[in-house]
Formats: sequence, structure tokens, C-alpha cells
Amino acid sequence: MLRGTILTNNPLVVEKLGPDAPVVYLQCSYQALLEAARDRIHQGARLLTHPLSGSVKPGETPYKSIILTNGKGDVDRQSLQLIENAIQACAKFQQRCDRYRPAVDLDCRLIDWTLLEGALASANQ
Amino acid sequence: MAKLRVVHYINQFFAQIGGEEKADYPAELRVGEVVGPGMALMQKFGDEAEIVATVVCGDSYFNENLDKATADILEMVKSQKPDVFVAGPAFNAGRYGVACGTIAAAVQEQLGIPSVTGMYVENPGADMFKTKVYIVSTRNSAAGMRDAVAKLAPLALKLGKGEPIGASVEEGYIPNGVRVNFFEKERGSARAVKMLIKKLAGKPFETEFPMPVFDRVAPNPAVKDMAHAKIALVTSGGIVPKGNPDHIESSSASHYGEYDIAGVMDLTAETYETAHGGYDPVYANADADRVLPVDVLRDMEKEGKIGELHHLYYATVGNGTAVASAKKFAAEFAQKLKADGVDAVILTST
Amino acid sequence: MKLEIGNIFIKDIQFAAEAKLADGVLYVDKAALEKIVLEDETIKSVTFDIAKPGESVRITPVKDVIEPRVKVEGPGGIFPGIIAKVDTVGSGKTHVLKGMAVVTAGKIVGFQEGVIDMSGPGAKYTPFSETLNLVMVCEPVEGLKQHDYEKAVRLAGFRVAVALGELGRNVAPDETKVYETCGIKEGIEKYPDLPRVAYVQMLQSQGLLHDTYVYGVDAKKTLSTILWPTETMDGAIVSGNCVSACDKNPTYVHENNPVVEDLFAQHGKTLNFVCQIITNENVYLADKQRSSDWTAKMCRLLDLDGVIVSQEGFGNPDTDLIMNCKKIEAQGVKTVIITDEYAGRDGKSQSLADADAAADAVVTGGNANEVIVLPKMDKVIGTLDYVNKIAGASEETLQPDGSLVVELQVITGATNETGFIKLSAR
Repeated sequence: MLRGTILTNNPLVVEKLGPDAPVVYLQCSYQALLEAARDRIHQGARLLTHPLSGSVKPGETPYKSIILTNGKGDVDRQSLQLIENAIQACAKFQQRCDRYRPAVDLDCRLIDWTLLEGALASANQ
Repeated sequence: MAKLRVVHYINQFFAQIGGEEKADYPAELRVGEVVGPGMALMQKFGDEAEIVATVVCGDSYFNENLDKATADILEMVKSQKPDVFVAGPAFNAGRYGVACGTIAAAVQEQLGIPSVTGMYVENPGADMFKTKVYIVSTRNSAAGMRDAVAKLAPLALKLGKGEPIGASVEEGYIPNGVRVNFFEKERGSARAVKMLIKKLAGKPFETEFPMPVFDRVAPNPAVKDMAHAKIALVTSGGIVPKGNPDHIESSSASHYGEYDIAGVMDLTAETYETAHGGYDPVYANADADRVLPVDVLRDMEKEGKIGELHHLYYATVGNGTAVASAKKFAAEFAQKLKADGVDAVILTST
Repeated sequence: MKLEIGNIFIKDIQFAAEAKLADGVLYVDKAALEKIVLEDETIKSVTFDIAKPGESVRITPVKDVIEPRVKVEGPGGIFPGIIAKVDTVGSGKTHVLKGMAVVTAGKIVGFQEGVIDMSGPGAKYTPFSETLNLVMVCEPVEGLKQHDYEKAVRLAGFRVAVALGELGRNVAPDETKVYETCGIKEGIEKYPDLPRVAYVQMLQSQGLLHDTYVYGVDAKKTLSTILWPTETMDGAIVSGNCVSACDKNPTYVHENNPVVEDLFAQHGKTLNFVCQIITNENVYLADKQRSSDWTAKMCRLLDLDGVIVSQEGFGNPDTDLIMNCKKIEAQGVKTVIITDEYAGRDGKSQSLADADAAADAVVTGGNANEVIVLPKMDKVIGTLDYVNKIAGASEETLQPDGSLVVELQVITGATNETGFIKLSAR
């Protein structure tokens, strides 16, 4: 079982993993999710997955799922650098996922889920 | 089509008025005159543009009367209604480079007239102004005039006509932080192989994307005996004695100040303020200790936690100040701090 | 390992009742190909079309581009582990239908991208405006899941390419090229004074629509490993990647990997091309660390002097790229890396999501955020229905006059990170 926390704003992740999984669901934007991850990193959590997973760029998908450790203590510099770079990258892209049709929205959820699924396979080995 | 109107700026030296002894020559507008390097520019412009006026100004005059000189020259340029403004080239002449950059940036920002200058990449003006105006990269002396003009003239024409400007390698300007696409002659893989062969042979090669520079400074070993250490304060937060006696600029500082705090126990609203233009100054002006913690260090001095607070502190404004300038300041006052037997420095920003 | 590549120059493609390849003209039997595609019952229908350089044609959304090849001599077949058996390829003789490509198109997910313009300003940004393209658009059966649809289209493309390649089996090539590298010891003896160089290729491996397959294995489940550089020429690596059109590697790019080709051009002259190392770009950070550690370890173990590292994709792979570069340099092996940039529409943003001073030799494929206007084309193969939704597009993308305002991101191969193209930036 995963020792860590999945931070997500993707309802499909909650649906797929069920109520017992260590999922923290936030109803927020892509960037706000990265910022929530940054808060945890400042409290000592480490990133287990890359915050810019997927070639669908920030602004092109509203969904993001990130796995972090539950660690407390010193700030992990590498995690902090990755998350800061990711937050900075958000500004480079046009925001347009709010204009998607519902079917496209479901595709975005699916892609985010499959990216996470691959990471979970690695995490659970 | 009518010829583009160009106003050209040069210093006293290139106007053949004289060298350093004539550097206090005030700004002067010469309508209808083409002077010095202007001749070479005119040749390159051909039928497409002409220099309608030349502004001549001494380098010392410009730098010592920055505000007045800039305002006067802006008026002169405005009166000639140019399509494009050209300053220099300044090669490696530092004050000339800063003058060219300052006035070209001012003409572009305040008059909305496209401007271009040229200088050697290590000219301090290049670092200060390369993101504000196009600066053609020249050799380090006037021997490179031909080459400089060959790049300066076509770029000036393009700017004057409002044509799109290509990548820095195509146009010959100093990279300005804006990435521009263009087609190379060879595909990327072939360029990569060539670059690797050069790198393996220890020959110089040029990366196509310079990594952002992180100037990481390895920390010194910890001070073992703080109770006997002499501590100095240095800030880029712009804390200066009230009235800013050294006129440190609110942004892009060109110098730093050295101030004596012997006997000063607390910085008050009456005695100190900030010169910094990059943050809300209210809290720093109300109590400058918030940026430069003299009060706390005096307490520690009393309590014996530190040996003593050095009686001089150094201050500049970090707001938009070129890294090269900041390095230069620090290299200078670091020597003074060492000579004064300072053991450690507390560096504060904003 | 020695591979002979026989190029048969294709001058034209025509639909005909009988499939054949004669005098440089490829005659395509639509009905026969349709049968091959519909072997997969998840595909409801397929339409074929031909797009030629210079025509007023736009193909979108492009999924993959494949070059038809056939194994004439030597072990194995094209696309080992996928179409052919899993035998090691890269030796013997292979015929190539040069100058053409099979382009698979069709909507798999709503925001999918990939535009190929055969003429106009967009054409110079895609290498596939210069190939004669046989385009196949597959429609799935009702209710087919995206995973299954992607796989069905991917495999159908390979089957069609192999069937076309087969037509070149007994045709005398117009041009023959020989590619040969040697074993470790042999190479040291043969080229004692030449620097030992390898190619480190990073493969996209993040998940659905972001995958690459090596001999049929999903690259995200692999450890970094070594190939003879000729193996890719027989289709050892194929694309399952449909996102990030500008900097993904279609199968065509794997078959014609430009770094492999340009290192071969210098092999035995200025360098000794030792091998190709492949490594992945997983989402899980521990995987990244393991993969880059292994890559660096192999570089040392192979006593390399230098490597070229190529990337695939945006964001997450920037981290793999920098990890690889840093660790390989730390082993005393010199690196040149190939990437592309996302510097924002104004070119002013930080181009990469990661950086390190060790990466002092970078080749760039340009800024993918740069905006371009693509004028209306007379004909669209595929559909424009989704063009507002593709990456790098916006609501304003489709203009009233039918032109598209898009970022280079949407154009297939525009900022390719194996150095397949001439676009760059400063």
C-alpha cells in the first residue's frame, strides 16, 4: 500500500481509488493544486512524482495529481525546486481548458488518472 | 518611398572635439549634420534612410547631469521627428556605453521612437540596457567600426520600418532574454554532433541555450567565537541617512554608500530612510531597523553575544541593479571590510 | 553489426486495383489495405487519402507517421515484438520506401493535436510536408475506450506500413547505404585515437498517449539499456505517443533517427560511434533517479568520451534531461543535449522547467509557444472539429476566414528534440 498522500483535484482519482485510499481531494485549479503541494513541501513532505507529469500542458488540462510523502521535518530542496519551477511554468501557457466541452473534460480526467496509475505501479512495487 | 529620418547620438570624442579634457562638453544638436561614424552609417543606409541631425554630448557631462542631459536630448530628438534613433557605437568605452544605453532606452520608452545602439559585450552599458533596447555586439575598440556599422545600419532600417526583428544570431544584437525562432542551415542533430566534436577536442563552442546563471556562493565556515567577533551590516535594501546624501538611485543603482553608525543605537524615522524604489517604503521609513537591524545588533553587543558592531555599514539599492554592478560594489567594499578586521557580515535585502 | 539500407525513391502514390511498386510509383489497393485495417474488430471503418507536397491540404489530428520498410535479408522483421517476431533486428538488408509516409489520423481524445500542412507557411515547420503521405483515418466501434482505440490505430498503422513495405521487397533500390558499428574491443582496436561516443535517447514513457515501445515492451517498464544503432532502423522503437505534436517522436523519426544518422556520418572519421543507450522519462521520481543513474553508469562502463542526449516532450522530461546530463558529466563524459523551449508566446519566460550549469552545450529546436497563422486550406483530411481544443490553440484559433492562429506546438515535428529539423532559437 502506498505510504504517502495523493494530492488531486481530479474526481476520477477519488472514484478509481475508493474511500480508503490516502487521497486528499481539493476542488481547485491546476496551479492551486501545485501550490497546495508546495505548502506540504514546506512542511517537510517530499515529492514522489513529477509535478509537470504529462505532455498536456498547464492551462490545457484542469487536472493534476501529485504523490507526496507524509514526512515532516526539513524542507527537501529538490522537491521545492521542482514545485517552484512547475508553478512558474504555469504562467507560460494560455488558459483555455475552461472552454472544453464536457467530453473533453472527461478525457482530461482520464489522462491525469493514467499518468498517476503508472506512478502508483512504480510506488507499489 | 521617402527616406527614413534618423537622429544619431555620439560623444565628444567621435565628434572630434577632444578626449577626456573635453568630456564635459554639454549636449548639442546639430541639425542637418552628419558627424564621424554617421558617415559610415549614411553609406550603409543608401537610399533608404538619412541622418537628419546629430546630437553630440560629452561623456562626463551626460553622466554627471543625467536627468538634465536626458531631458535636453529627448527634446532635441523629439524636435527632429525621427523614424529611428541610433546611439554610438560605443565599443568598450564605459561611460559612453552607459550614455548610449540610457538615451536610447529613454527615446524608445518616452518618445516611442525605436532605438538601437552598439557596444562591446563587456561594456557595463550592455548589461544595464540589453533588455531595454537592441544593442549590436561590437568589437572592443573603434577598429571594429566597419563591422559594427554593418550590423547597426540594417537593424536600424528594420526598426525604422517596423519590420519583425529576427533572432540575436541573425541580427547581431546582444541576446536580450527574448527567445526568437529562426531556421538554421543544418538540422539540430548535425549541429549537436559538431558541438560534441568541438567539446571533446577542448575547442570553444557556443551553446544555443545558455542555462540560467545561478551564482552559487559556497558558504564560509561558521564563525567559531561570536562573542568576540566584529560584525558588519551590508544591505541592498537602500537604507541611507535621511536625505540620501550620496543620491543612490531608487533603481538600477550605479553606486553604493558607506555610512558611519558609531554611537547610533537605533535607526529612527527622523534619521534614516530607504532609497529603494522597488517596495512599499512606508515600513522601512518608519523604522529602518526593519531592513538594517542596528538596534538588535546593539542589544547583542551589550549582551555580549557579539564582540562589536562595525562602525561602518554599506548600502545600495538592489532594485533592477545589474548583477555586474552589484559584484563590482561588493568586490570594493569587501576589501575595506577585510582591512577593518571585520569577521562576519550580515547581508540584508528587502 | 552491419545493416544495408536500400532506398527506393517513391515519386508518386496512386490508388489502383492492384497493389504494386513500379518505376518509383506506389500503386495502393485501397480495398486490400482496408481489409488489413479491419482485421481488428474494434475499428469500425477506415478511409484512405493521399496528400502530396505543395497541395492545399491540411491533415489533422495526426497520431503517427510511419515509413514503410521491409526486411530483405537477415534475422527478424520490421517492428519486432509488435508486428514481426521479437528477434533482434539491425543486421542484413532492409529496403525503404523513401519519400513517403503512412500518416494515421483520427480523434482519440478531445484535446489531441497534430497538424501537417502540405503547403503554405505551416509546411516549412513540419518535415512531413515533404513526404508523399498516405493518410488513414480510423473510426472506432461505438463505446471503445481511449486505451483500446489508441492501440488499435497504432497497430493498424504498422500493419499498413508493413504491407506497403512488402511491395518493395523485390525492387532494386535506387541508393544503398551501409551502416556498421563494432563491438567494444574491436572498436578500440580499430579506432584507437578516436573519441568514443554514444547516443543517449530518452523515450517518452509517462502513460496513456505518452508511451513508447521497444521490441513491444512499454518503455516505462524498462531499465536503461543498450542497442546497436542499426536496430532502430528496423523499427525496434515505435511511438505510442499522441500528445505534444511538436516534440514527440513519431515512429518515422525513430526509423530515421537523425542523431544516429549524423553520428554514423562521422563514425570512423572524427569519432567512434559505440552504441545507442535508451532510457525512459517516467512520472515517478525514484524511476527517474534509477534510470539516469543507470545511464550514467553505462556511459562510464563503456568508457565513453562523449554522448549526445536527446529529449522527448515537455516539463517532466526536462528533469530527466538535466539528471542525465549532470550525472553523465559527473562521470567525466562530455555531453551535448538536444531540447526545445517553452519560452511563452512573447519568448520571455524561462524555457525549461529544470536547469543546471553542467548543461553547457545545448542544441534547441526552438520555442514551441511561438504563434503562427495557418491560412485556410482547400481540403482537410481528418477533422477540424477539435482544432480549438488542441494544445497551443485557443478559442480564437479558428478565424472567420478559415485560418488558424496557433502555437507551433500543434504542428507535427515543429520543434523535434532529436534534431530532425532546422528550426532553432536564440
